Amino acid sequence: MSNQVTLSINNQSVTVPAGSTIMDAAQKAGVSVPHFCWHPGLSIAGVCRFCMVKVEGMPKLQIACNTPASEGMKVDTVSDEVKETHKWALEFHLINHPLDCPICDQAGECELQNYYMKVGKYQSQMEDQKVLKPKALDVGDTLVLDTERCILCSRCVRFEDEVTKTSTLGIFNRGDQATIGTYPDRKIKHNYSYNLADICPVGAFTAKDFRFKCRVWFLKETKTVCPGCSTGCNVNLFQNSNQREYYRLKPRHNADVNGHWMCDTGRTMYEHLNASARLASPLLSGQSISSAAALQAVADAVKGLSADKVALVLTAQYTNEEYAGVLSSLKTVLKGTPKVFVWRDESEKADDFDGILFRGDRNPNTRGMMDVLKEHAIQPTMLKGDFSALAGTSPEVTVVMGPEIEAGYPNLQKALSRFSEMKKAVYFGNSLTDAAKKFWLRVPVKTFAEKSGTFVNFNGVAQKLKANPPVFTNVKAVDEYFAEVGKLAHTAG
Amino acid sequence: MPVMNSAYNGRQPNEFKVLTELEGIPNSRSLEVYKKHGGYAALEKILKGKMSQEEVINIVKASGLRGRGGAGFPTGMKWGFVPKGEGEKYLITNFDEGEPGTYKDRYIAELNAHMLIEGKLIAAYAIGASKSYIYLRGEFYDEIAWCEQAIKEAYAAGYLGDNVMGTGFKHHMDVYIGAGAYICGEETGLISSLEGKKGQPKLKPPFPAVKGYLGKPTIVNNVETLAVVPWIIRNGAEAYKKFGTEKSAGTKLFNISGPVVRPGCYELPLGYPLKRFIYEDCGGLIGGKKLKAVIPGGASAPVLTAAEVETMTMDYEAFAAAGSMLGSGAVIVIPEDVSMVEVLENLMHFFKDESCGQCTPCREGTGWLLKMSRGILQGEGQPGDEKKIAEVAGKMMGRTICTFSDAAAGPARSIPQKFAHEFLEYYKKKSSAHGQG
Amino acid sequence: MAYVNVSRDPERNFKNGYLATSLLGLGTTLVTFTKQVFGLEESNTVQWPEVEYQYSDRFKGAHFLTKRPDGRVRCTACFLCATNCPAQCITIVAGESPDKGVEKYPVRFEIDILRCVFCGYCEEACPVDAIRLGPEYSMAGLAERKWVYTKDYLLERDAVKRKVGEKQTSKKDENVKHDSVDSSLPNIHIGGSDGH
Repeated sequence: MSNQVTLSINNQSVTVPAGSTIMDAAQKAGVSVPHFCWHPGLSIAGVCRFCMVKVEGMPKLQIACNTPASEGMKVDTVSDEVKETHKWALEFHLINHPLDCPICDQAGECELQNYYMKVGKYQSQMEDQKVLKPKALDVGDTLVLDTERCILCSRCVRFEDEVTKTSTLGIFNRGDQATIGTYPDRKIKHNYSYNLADICPVGAFTAKDFRFKCRVWFLKETKTVCPGCSTGCNVNLFQNSNQREYYRLKPRHNADVNGHWMCDTGRTMYEHLNASARLASPLLSGQSISSAAALQAVADAVKGLSADKVALVLTAQYTNEEYAGVLSSLKTVLKGTPKVFVWRDESEKADDFDGILFRGDRNPNTRGMMDVLKEHAIQPTMLKGDFSALAGTSPEVTVVMGPEIEAGYPNLQKALSRFSEMKKAVYFGNSLTDAAKKFWLRVPVKTFAEKSGTFVNFNGVAQKLKANPPVFTNVKAVDEYFAEVGKLAHTAG
Repeated sequence: MPVMNSAYNGRQPNEFKVLTELEGIPNSRSLEVYKKHGGYAALEKILKGKMSQEEVINIVKASGLRGRGGAGFPTGMKWGFVPKGEGEKYLITNFDEGEPGTYKDRYIAELNAHMLIEGKLIAAYAIGASKSYIYLRGEFYDEIAWCEQAIKEAYAAGYLGDNVMGTGFKHHMDVYIGAGAYICGEETGLISSLEGKKGQPKLKPPFPAVKGYLGKPTIVNNVETLAVVPWIIRNGAEAYKKFGTEKSAGTKLFNISGPVVRPGCYELPLGYPLKRFIYEDCGGLIGGKKLKAVIPGGASAPVLTAAEVETMTMDYEAFAAAGSMLGSGAVIVIPEDVSMVEVLENLMHFFKDESCGQCTPCREGTGWLLKMSRGILQGEGQPGDEKKIAEVAGKMMGRTICTFSDAAAGPARSIPQKFAHEFLEYYKKKSSAHGQG
Repeated sequence: MAYVNVSRDPERNFKNGYLATSLLGLGTTLVTFTKQVFGLEESNTVQWPEVEYQYSDRFKGAHFLTKRPDGRVRCTACFLCATNCPAQCITIVAGESPDKGVEKYPVRFEIDILRCVFCGYCEEACPVDAIRLGPEYSMAGLAERKWVYTKDYLLERDAVKRKVGEKQTSKKDENVKHDSVDSSLPNIHIGGSDGH
């Protein structure tokens, strides 16, 4: 038996591996089959009965998600019979749905709404009272559950059983009283809880973090990479471009990196992007100055110094392009390679892994940084809890490229105090912490959302970031600053 | 139209004793009485006679025995689906008997549970199962005790254990007590329940015969199906085929309920005329009431009108031709003074309560059907509602994992179609009540 | 190809020329003025602000927010008005209501009235009859006045109260919530009249 089967869907021929379902084949052929309970990252439940298709030779309609594709099968997804079935399947889903879309956060990205526009558009015949169920249940620190909106597709139950293996959720009661809920005295407590809100096709699970903050139709998504750890999950970053305000991240499917999911820690990676959490302009000894003046100050400080009098402290949270740019600019200015240090947090356990996605190395680009340094033939010195190596070289100017995601550096305050004690300590970063205030010069930089560069994840997969317009127009990326410094030092010299 | 089988003219039901042989015999539940009437001879014939698995399956196939639980699937063929060879396999007896109006399995246990045990042993031998369960409904207190007693006796007599009758055949049997859900009478729902999960039917494929209980090949058979197997082995397939029609062979237990003079459990050959059953064997309706309708095979079977009953014979094909089904053989007689709207509401209430809530059309549809039929009953209906009920029921059919929603749709489609005029009366009541202010 | 010559008005003559029509208009003004001076005709001019003009009830003036029968704001902060607003003059900040049956309510609801074009699309979009364009038309004020109407102002404006009175409490069906919204347990058989 060959391990490929060829079938036709709506007279379009498609070849899939043996053992695939009609749904897999339809996905491959680009035919959309409406579905609720089927999710490519979970097992098959076959309960929503929405994905029914006509298979030639079978008396009844079959569900696409659980019917194995076989050689020569003829599948039809557009006939009137199938359309009628889809319409009725939607009607059954909607008869007890509260239709409180105005106050539902899912509105705008709700599968019920989408499918109503796609395959529904009927006048409901339901005139009786709807079934009432508990609403706005607190099911954990991150989620709110509305059992009335739930269509019992069981995706969340399967996610808990199969992905996180925490099995907090179950379906209780039977018939139209069936209700999703947590088992008694249990709450959803794991680092992947927001995925439940994502996979919920309706608004039954809503994220507390995003709840009531913004309607989704105001948001614009950017395809980028999560900077939260060295896994480098592919994400969509959502911004309200009118407000220049970031609201959330959602995972983007990439079978090689993160599959369908991302962790809750990664979901917080929008918080430091918004204006209120960031340094707006450079500060020279606590005084706000223009970017040009700040760069002039840096240029003046490094001008004429020999390369070994300048220390460059790196964190692995910048892009490859930035490291390369900074190093080549400095090399030109100093006519030599500065002393390079790599700052890791002292509590870091880089090899930790939670078994799903989250890694102990909280820097997104450790691999990339090391590669760039290697290219420049630089052997960096590690600063991990012990800063004597830096102090020992007694540099005239210390340039610190601080971490963008400070949550990955629990001992940030302590380290920053040590760095700021150095002579002419320049801090590139957006930190608003007290310890950062002690630096001679602080220069704000672009965040991962505002630059297009490359992160290399723990596995060596290089991934591109995609830039949004910056929140502060005067703020630049660190390599752009150093290119400027290079020019200034050149003209001055 | 099905032709009345003339062979039954003049013959009395007590001439067709296959399962009910022990009827009326004192102390019938004991092993001694059973053995005196040929008990365990069939098992002995197979084990001592060194019959092969195929031979047993072929006899059952030849007998034309079909599943007595409701679906009527040929039993021998079902056994044949189990993969051959080594490996753990399971045999489960469906003693959930939840179909409203059905009490035939309980009657078998009341007569003698050893019939079931012997049948199970034969089936287990045929499919190569070394472990089997009797899945009993929790409310059947007496039946649980009888089955457990019979199993104990069988162990003591050497019919069960590591070395059955000294032939080296190993088989263990256990009683599992369910919590009394209708859906656990569905074979995959039953397996889920037996596995300790919520009683919900499983997605097919994979079919239980390939991947069932604990992921192993599993056969689920009704009590009546298994209990008749020893008789077939003892007397041969041909003897069994003498009863019944060509496609519906053998006898079947029919339970009749409703206002008939002699309700009860009757063993009749398939193909027996329904009218004769109601009017002669059961003595007709109490007080000489007129017959309005008959639900021929338990709650899920579409109703037959009195006119349809006239010529109906009780076999799989005749019922199917009339758009109904033989089901579990529970004949529910509805007299002239019962409103069909009430019947519908009652049935819909049952189905709404028993839907497992897994598949959307069934979960939402059964609730909706109840609300609509209750609305009509309470005088809130409006013309066209009966059509809406039939339409909604039609859209539930054939679209779910198990056949529960088809079962609910059966009466919900047939009653509004066949008795539309009764619905109109309810709408009239409403408008006249409004008229009076 | 057919075309119309527009270079010269074919009906141009002295009678419909500039001078004649101007004098005609002036004549009408003089006649009306004289009639009104001698009280032969009613004046259409309203002596505002001494006399207030009564617009139709359906006049779309300054916005107000309606209330629930218990006096709370009806708005559920769905953002549909803000989405629909062509002038983007509505700002809403939603919050979690302590009443679980209401769930979502506007913490802030602001209309930048200087940007508003009084199109009434907000009223059209509202699914709960929470925002209406009221009868108030005199909104003039000095530059230092607050031109962003806040939630409290939109709910409790004297001019609106005076003019719409009871109408500010929307009679639209309340979205009645069952007790089950306060329950953390799945409810079984609501209204359990069937005692199964």
